[in-house]
Amino acid sequence: MTAAVAFEHIDKSFAAIAALRDVSFAIDRGESHAIVGENGAGKSTLLKILAGSLRPDRGELRIEGEPATLAGPRDALARGIGLVHQEMLAFPNLSVAANIFAGRELTRRFGLLRDRDMRDRSAALLDRLRVRVAPDARADGLSLAHRQLLQVARALAFDCRILALDEPTTALTAAEAEQLFGILDGLKAGGVTIIYVSHRLAEVFRLCDRITTLRDGRFVSTVARATATSDDIVQAMVGRALETRRRTTTFVPRTAEEGRRSSPAAALATGRLSSAPCFRDVSLTVAAGEIVGLFGLVGSGRTELLETIVGLRNATAGDVTVANSRRRFRSPREAARSGVVLVPEDRQRQGLFFNLSLRHNLAIPAAEAEGRTLVGGAERAHAAAMLRRWRIGAAAIEPSDTPDVLSGGNQQKVVAAKWIATKPRLLLLDEPTKGVDVGAKYEIHGIIRGLADEGAGCLVVSSDLPELLTLADRILVMKEGALCGELPGDATEEQVMRLAAGTAA
Amino acid sequence: MKALRDVRELSTLALLAIEVAFFAWYLWPDGGRPHPFLNGANALLILKYSSIYGIAAIGAAMVIISGGIDLAPGAVIALTGVVAGALFVESHWSLGASALAGISAGLACGLVSAALIVGARLPPFIATLGVMGIARGAAFIITEGRYFDVSGQLPAGWRPLGLPLDWTSPLLMVALAVVFHTLMMKFQWGRAVYALGGNPIAALYAGVRVDLVQASVYLIAALLASLSGVALAIVQGQGKADLAMGYELDVIASAVVGGASLAGGRGSVIGAVLGALIFGVLRNALPQIPGATFYDRLIVGMVVIVIVVVDQVLQRRSARL
Repeated sequence: MTAAVAFEHIDKSFAAIAALRDVSFAIDRGESHAIVGENGAGKSTLLKILAGSLRPDRGELRIEGEPATLAGPRDALARGIGLVHQEMLAFPNLSVAANIFAGRELTRRFGLLRDRDMRDRSAALLDRLRVRVAPDARADGLSLAHRQLLQVARALAFDCRILALDEPTTALTAAEAEQLFGILDGLKAGGVTIIYVSHRLAEVFRLCDRITTLRDGRFVSTVARATATSDDIVQAMVGRALETRRRTTTFVPRTAEEGRRSSPAAALATGRLSSAPCFRDVSLTVAAGEIVGLFGLVGSGRTELLETIVGLRNATAGDVTVANSRRRFRSPREAARSGVVLVPEDRQRQGLFFNLSLRHNLAIPAAEAEGRTLVGGAERAHAAAMLRRWRIGAAAIEPSDTPDVLSGGNQQKVVAAKWIATKPRLLLLDEPTKGVDVGAKYEIHGIIRGLADEGAGCLVVSSDLPELLTLADRILVMKEGALCGELPGDATEEQVMRLAAGTAA
Repeated sequence: MKALRDVRELSTLALLAIEVAFFAWYLWPDGGRPHPFLNGANALLILKYSSIYGIAAIGAAMVIISGGIDLAPGAVIALTGVVAGALFVESHWSLGASALAGISAGLACGLVSAALIVGARLPPFIATLGVMGIARGAAFIITEGRYFDVSGQLPAGWRPLGLPLDWTSPLLMVALAVVFHTLMMKFQWGRAVYALGGNPIAALYAGVRVDLVQASVYLIAALLASLSGVALAIVQGQGKADLAMGYELDVIASAVVGGASLAGGRGSVIGAVLGALIFGVLRNALPQIPGATFYDRLIVGMVVIVIVVVDQVLQRRSARL
């Protein structure tokens, strides 16, 4: 049997950095095949080669046994390769139906659009995905989860023989993800080859027949699901860094009492804080040295709460007390000057300056918070020290490099590091390890714990429940814009989910 | 999506109606004298002069919707008029052949813009800034300070296609608006232009022929600008290198007032034409108000800002709901 897709000795470099080195493996026709690896392992680069948007420097891509030189994404689509992107590649200005058919519109002669047909097909497709969205709705009005499902609908809208999905569940709830898996199972039964890239090993084991691991741009192994355990895969992914993992897993969970003992003052207290229509009447405290987890489903108002505390959005009622004085910050700058900083969720849009070197990226928040006007030469040394201290990127990374040479995990470390450099009293983190690999995740956890040990209060928003359970001293749960419960750090996933999803789930 | 855009065009139309009503009231004459603003001849005058940049504004709207910008229309209008005028007046070419030659010169400008933007990947602002200079310069070189008296050479009482001469360019504007509005709303090409402006990377991944679409938009914009140039040469009766100075900004302002967003992805062709009419009415009525002569530029500038700000506030409110 010829393989649906075969990568043969693929090399790809960006500037001096090798993203893929001599990668060879094959994906059988009709199987579902996972590609796993830490961020920076080369998964996305490999998918981009498959989607025709990158060309390998060396080596060959074979599709159905034929050597394929793809001229561009259009060419890949024509060969029946569909790709669901990790990034939210939607057209915010177009309707849902127009999004689904973008680039492959149903037309009559001369390109006259068959709007009604596209609307009907979209409605049927959305129905199949159980997405309750009108085909005429504009994409910029959709929730994140719906936008992600829209990308899946896009791929399903035409008959692809090979469907590649890059982290398709990051914005989905467990139920929505399970729905997606059901659909993928159905497609597979119909003969479609599925290529699935994810950090979530549970999903990989749920869905895939075989699992290929990449590490540092190299092929490590392809194993059958039946013969592998999740520990095997983690070991293959992390490789040399296994030691770090072992050390951190033995970390004794902190208790709230421990946190309070080290420093009794509250780092943050909110009193019936509201910002209509996102959330209301939120009263919570974070003690100095304490790590508080904030869990909630997408749309529960968690991000908006953090944004309101640092002054990115206006509170409609209630108050914020920081270090025993009542504050209402009008901007993140004002908040940072009082020692309250937010590490935002979206590092691409909110976290990094891709036009500036790492040195400047790392120095800007501290310089602003301290009101420095001169950009000193000491910054360079500081930046170099920070890169080493947080183990950001390979040894070859210089403060003069720009953030785009770093993998997602290392970019996230830069975002965290630049805010921690302001020596905050209270650190608000929004999804600090979203889209980050296992190794970087543990390192980021270490950074957060280190800061708490030094006496800072931390409020961590995360959709990753196991992460919150290992990291937090206490867990607060938000639902539909209100706090709906508090659990100790040693609660179970089930207890938290029951609060967050309510009886309706 | 469709409903929203319809609303946006209706609000531009409402604005135009309010504007006309205001000037009709303000300029109401005393004691039974004929109305200086509200009469058929004046309406035709407004339509005639609005159509000159209104035609080019159709192209500007499409460029802006695609996420780009075109600074060349004013210069292209002048170059077209000069080339057509020179051939018609001095070389005694037929009117049709002269107009075609002028349009070809305009298209050549569009081709250069497209090549620089798509081929050399220059930012549209820079590429079209360069083309603007080249086109204007070429016009000056051709005329060497002369101007071509087109109207003197036109046959007396000439009625192209059996229509009064004054009607041709407004009718051309309306016809082109309908054609391009349909193309933008009902055809794959138009959908691709909206997609490109909404998210260029997603457009590439979706299999949109991004380069081709982008190039076609600048070519069509140049074609429409040169049609404006022909209209101007006939309406003004002359080809002259320093005509249509600064029209690129009027053209962009028309598209923006008509709902086009400079961030790309939003706007409409019909809106741009209505925007051109809003400015046409202002330019016609303001000089008729005693003492307002020196204020008209200032008022036009303020109107652009007020309309766009109000539009953004409304957008933000509807986004929040």
